Amino acid sequence: MFPLRVRSYYSLLQGTSSPATLCRQAKRYGYTGLALTDRDNLYGLWSFLKNCKNEGLRPVIGAEITDPASKKCITCLVRNRKGYSNLCFLLTERHMGKKFNLATALQKYAEGLVVLCRDYQLLNNYSRQGVEVVADLGSRPTETGRLLRTWAKENDIVSVATPDSDMAEEGDFQLSCLLRAVGEGATISEVRRKGENEKPGWLAGPQEYRDRFAVWPELAAATERVAARCCYTGPDFGVVMPPWRGDDDKPAGLALRQKAFCGARRRYGDDLGEPVVERLEHELSTIELMGFSSYFLVVRDIVHRKGKDGRRTKRRICGRGSAAASLVAYCLDITNICPLKYNLYFERFLNPGRSDPPDIDIDFSWDERDDVLTEVLSDFNGHAAMVCNHVFFKPRMAIRETARAFGLPGYEISEVTRRLPWVYKHGEESLEQRISSLATFRGRDFSQPWLEVLTLAEKLIGVPRYLSVHPGGVVITPEPISSYVPVERAQKGVPIIQWEKDGTEEAGLVKIDILGNRSLGVIRDCLHAVAGNDKAPDEVSWQPEDDAATKLTVAEGETMGCFYIESPAMRLLQKKAASGDFEQLVIQSSIIRPAANEFVREYVRRLHGGSWQPLCAEIGDVLDETYGLMVYQEDVSRVAVALAGFSHSQADGLRKVMSKKDKKLRLANYRERFFAGCAACKVDLADVERMWQMMMSFDGYSFCKPHSASYARVSYQAAYLKRHFPAEFMAAVISNQGGYYSIFAYVSEAKRLGLKILHPDVRESEIRWIGKEAWIRVGLQNVQGLSTVFQKRLIRERGKRQFSGLEDFFTRTKPADNEVCALIHGGGLDGLSETGNRSALLWQWASFQRARKSASHHSLFEVILPPPPLLPIPDQRTRLRREFRVLGFLCDMHPLQFFAHRGRGLVKACDLSNHKGRRVELAGWLLNGKLVSTSNGEVMEFLTFEDETALFETTFFPDVYSRYATILTSGKPYILGGLVEEDYGALTLTVHGIQLLRR
Amino acid sequence: MKERSVIHFNVADFAVSVERVVDSGLRARPLIIAPLQAARAVVYDMSEEAFRDGVRKGMALRQATKICRGATLLAPRPALYQKAMTAFLKEVQNYSPLIESGFADGHLFVDVTGTHRLHGPPPDIGLRIRRYVRTHLGINPIWTLGTSKLVSKVASRLVKPVGEYIVSPGDEALFLAPLPVALLPGLTRQELRKLEEFHLTTVGALAGLSRQQLKVPFGSRSDYLHDISQGIDDSAVSTSSSTTQTVDCEQSFADDTNDRQEVEAVVVDLVSRAGQYLRARRQVARRVGVWLRYSDGSHVVRQASRRVGSNSDFVLHNLALSALQRAWVKRTRLRSCRLVCDRLHKQSPQLLLFPDKGIKERRQEKLLGAMDTIRNRFGHQLIRLGSRSSMADGVRSTIH
Repeated sequence: MFPLRVRSYYSLLQGTSSPATLCRQAKRYGYTGLALTDRDNLYGLWSFLKNCKNEGLRPVIGAEITDPASKKCITCLVRNRKGYSNLCFLLTERHMGKKFNLATALQKYAEGLVVLCRDYQLLNNYSRQGVEVVADLGSRPTETGRLLRTWAKENDIVSVATPDSDMAEEGDFQLSCLLRAVGEGATISEVRRKGENEKPGWLAGPQEYRDRFAVWPELAAATERVAARCCYTGPDFGVVMPPWRGDDDKPAGLALRQKAFCGARRRYGDDLGEPVVERLEHELSTIELMGFSSYFLVVRDIVHRKGKDGRRTKRRICGRGSAAASLVAYCLDITNICPLKYNLYFERFLNPGRSDPPDIDIDFSWDERDDVLTEVLSDFNGHAAMVCNHVFFKPRMAIRETARAFGLPGYEISEVTRRLPWVYKHGEESLEQRISSLATFRGRDFSQPWLEVLTLAEKLIGVPRYLSVHPGGVVITPEPISSYVPVERAQKGVPIIQWEKDGTEEAGLVKIDILGNRSLGVIRDCLHAVAGNDKAPDEVSWQPEDDAATKLTVAEGETMGCFYIESPAMRLLQKKAASGDFEQLVIQSSIIRPAANEFVREYVRRLHGGSWQPLCAEIGDVLDETYGLMVYQEDVSRVAVALAGFSHSQADGLRKVMSKKDKKLRLANYRERFFAGCAACKVDLADVERMWQMMMSFDGYSFCKPHSASYARVSYQAAYLKRHFPAEFMAAVISNQGGYYSIFAYVSEAKRLGLKILHPDVRESEIRWIGKEAWIRVGLQNVQGLSTVFQKRLIRERGKRQFSGLEDFFTRTKPADNEVCALIHGGGLDGLSETGNRSALLWQWASFQRARKSASHHSLFEVILPPPPLLPIPDQRTRLRREFRVLGFLCDMHPLQFFAHRGRGLVKACDLSNHKGRRVELAGWLLNGKLVSTSNGEVMEFLTFEDETALFETTFFPDVYSRYATILTSGKPYILGGLVEEDYGALTLTVHGIQLLRR
Repeated sequence: MKERSVIHFNVADFAVSVERVVDSGLRARPLIIAPLQAARAVVYDMSEEAFRDGVRKGMALRQATKICRGATLLAPRPALYQKAMTAFLKEVQNYSPLIESGFADGHLFVDVTGTHRLHGPPPDIGLRIRRYVRTHLGINPIWTLGTSKLVSKVASRLVKPVGEYIVSPGDEALFLAPLPVALLPGLTRQELRKLEEFHLTTVGALAGLSRQQLKVPFGSRSDYLHDISQGIDDSAVSTSSSTTQTVDCEQSFADDTNDRQEVEAVVVDLVSRAGQYLRARRQVARRVGVWLRYSDGSHVVRQASRRVGSNSDFVLHNLALSALQRAWVKRTRLRSCRLVCDRLHKQSPQLLLFPDKGIKERRQEKLLGAMDTIRNRFGHQLIRLGSRSSMADGVRSTIH
């Protein structure tokens, strides 16, 4: 018996088990192989192949294909390469075709496939078309099975028994019910009742199938024969590069050389100099040798938009990742940082020993990215698609969906899910135990049905839920892309391949990352706003890192709003470092990573002249540039090469494995080799241990130097603009929807920069914020409730002529009721009011609506508003409360000023420096926070607060955090008590107690 | 036109008051009434002390006990509250036949206009009734006197939880003027929001606007708003016999549920109660409505009707299931299910020459007759139609 029809959890919201579990189970039962046939997809192909290899099973690749109209289903098993291609085409047709019909779909794509089916009509059809068909009798002998078997015999068709299973074992029934309830939007009780009558199949052992089909023993044997015909063990495309379609028939290598040298002359002048030429020659030969020329050219074409006249213009981009180490990329304008100037190693990006294809990642302005993608997908129509993400149930989603199936009301579900941390670690305890132990759930009682919800939700965690689009990965192939991988359409309309990043890489498909970056939009908008200003920088010669004032801004940590260096941790580090140098910023943006806290402290100490020794004597000057610390990803490789005798490609493998999810086994292997290598070089074991620990701090995310340098460049550009054009810069930051902080926080920052915040005004405001000299005006985009259509209409009508009054505004812009209310409460219509009484404005709007209703019968007359009655003017508190509700901030004051009467005896944030080492009490508005885990696994939090005078950073150590976690919510006022501490000039408050500030 | 005299009696936290009569040891201690066996019970009623601690009706019992830790918990006893209400009503009926009351909620409007010669001035009636009720029933109602239901109701809201208030004829507008508009009865949430937006916070400010002006934001509701702001209310105190146009039963689930079988079993039970009531009065209903209240606070009402009225459980059940099907639109659990039979009319006493019912219907009729007899003698729960699931626990109430 060979299990020919088994579904994994990649049959979304149907199957319960991972390919790994199924393979393990098949091995335990003694099967020689396994066919994975997920419904309408090959999502799990690479996981299946890997696990078959691990378990020593023979994989049979296949998929079930359903007919959306008739709901009929067939199972296709792949016999050979052609069959695989055909299956991909079929699956693509199933998802992308307008009228998919199972009866006719196989006419074109039957070659190389074995089709299992239990529908007479389809079997008949396929037989006539010459398709290799097999009658599928399912997992138990039934009356319909008996008739099908007899009919198949008469028509000379082989019959087989199949597991037709959704579960690896019978015990998965509860999870199966839950998945169905989630999928169908049904209640769990309903699905359970249905399931008891019609239990889904599970993968049983071969003997059980033989026993079940003892009456027709030939069925089990026939499965072996069918499996033997399916000898295709998986795709092997090699490295699939995007094809370059040049303007002429010039070979890609030659074209790249010409364009690289041409770009170099533009960058460095006609006299290139020996280092540039040498480096270019070296890089070009490596690129050509590895077949990457067309890849570079395709990326270059993406970066340079082709206009209607056929000429290409460069978009605003930031090339990131290791590609920034390439001079060729720099000369092609794919990256912004000179690798020679900043000593970036090309080998980090490309070296002949590297077997896996490296990506080129490009950031575009966030609001231009979709256009770039559309252009690429249409230029390479049929040959390009985006990479997908397999989205798995995480605790939050699992609990929410399970609780919904149990019928728990939304507010109760949110009450639980909003207290869950975003970062979640698996452990030995049950989900309920883990959640109950969280500080945010202190005192929460999980009685029924929550206990059952959490028990079931735990089973759901890690099961795939749906496909989303990868943030920017695009694959372009020389042959039609559906011959490599099935393609489907994502919710947002773009074509996506059925594999996520790792699967794509495993298949050898080279992806280009086209990513969105808000700060590029900020810089673009700010430069546009200051164009014409004498002080506006000339982008060609702009060197913001050399500007003294900008350096000072960075050194003081006044970088809120600046790309990548605005987080509290970064700002504190800049304050401590107090250098403002570009080289230091490159180090800083790389050294700040979750597991490297102790190295950050050590870095600051060494930067300020503290003595240090290399990690070991044998390491030489490898890490001198970074004060003897491993800062960049490539430092891991360099140390491994220098001390443990790793080759470059082995060392690169070690670096790469650290960012993988399932690295445990491979990492252990590398560890052994690293220790053995170091021992051979006679490095002291204690030193080796220390170095390995430092390497482990690169677990999770970390950066290479080219990436950090590339980003640091953008950071400096932002810092320069903030320093010299604060109004235009802050307007651009908020217009581009900020970054790390809320709009509220950016508005406060603008106030601290001395800018006046002008209310929205329908006569003056644009959709985006406007900044000039010493003021910024709120953009319509931030008035909550205004639709985009209305905003555009308002601007269009105002463009024709200025609004003469309320009637004119209402008549021409045709706002909805909630839009007018929002504008009035936000102060947007104050300018059209004679009295400034917002109650009267609301009355006039009601009056207009009433008049418009009557006017619909007498449309000859224009609406004339009667004067409003004498309505009381809203008091200041009511007015500001409404303004806050609509805008999310107050233009003229800080909400904490409402609590001024509580502030007696409290210290202001701007005075904290006068209280170093002392305990103080102060009022603060909570902006945001970051949870971290201590080395003991305890949870603590760093929170950013502000009052009307300054921002301040606080530390909540585990005991304090666990006491107050339940009351901490962003956007609320508090009174904090704690100790003011100073570290290298940076002040923080170590909190001892906090309470919500009430009026 | 003669000045009217309407007294409003209001026993704050009626269920709590009744429980305290039964057990005086519960006095002056926070008390919460809620189904106790259920894991997800909600508060049915609470005492003033618990209210001050933040406990509210409909709040999850788990949360209520957390914020009012010392509270005594009791299970609701609707029959007891109904009994107390009946006793209260009985006393009031001695003074006027015009009484409007709710279902066991301690609210009564009594129109005592023109009873001066019989019972003395209206304030005396209020005082006397309160004294009697306090002495004999042990509960202490608020009583307020006004020239309309509106004025007495507002006065009662003003003095809650205990006290008395008399608004003299002609003083209505003066009495209402400084009060917040939220005290006015009959205003929707949207209307209150709108008034707040115009910064019309007091009844006096509202009264300052003409009918024509009020028409601008409130349209057809302007007359009502204008009248109540001036203290004008002509609505009569309507007795239950003149208003009963429906049969209304409700089941509140002790533990909210979204189990279809459980809910359908409840519908069967509610139908049997309504059917029995209709048959006893020889009435038939042409429409059945199902009101579902979800645990998230929302509610949905759907109805099913037929051309010919019926009081057969079997017919009403079909209508109820059809309404339930349309009302139950989401997975969220249900907190209560209410069945309303309306479009009632008398069952024709005349027998048809050629009966339009088949043998099956006639058998069903006989069966229901027999069941009614058993229920009348031994209680409703003794016998019921079979269903796949047993009845859910909870608080059951019937309003006729």
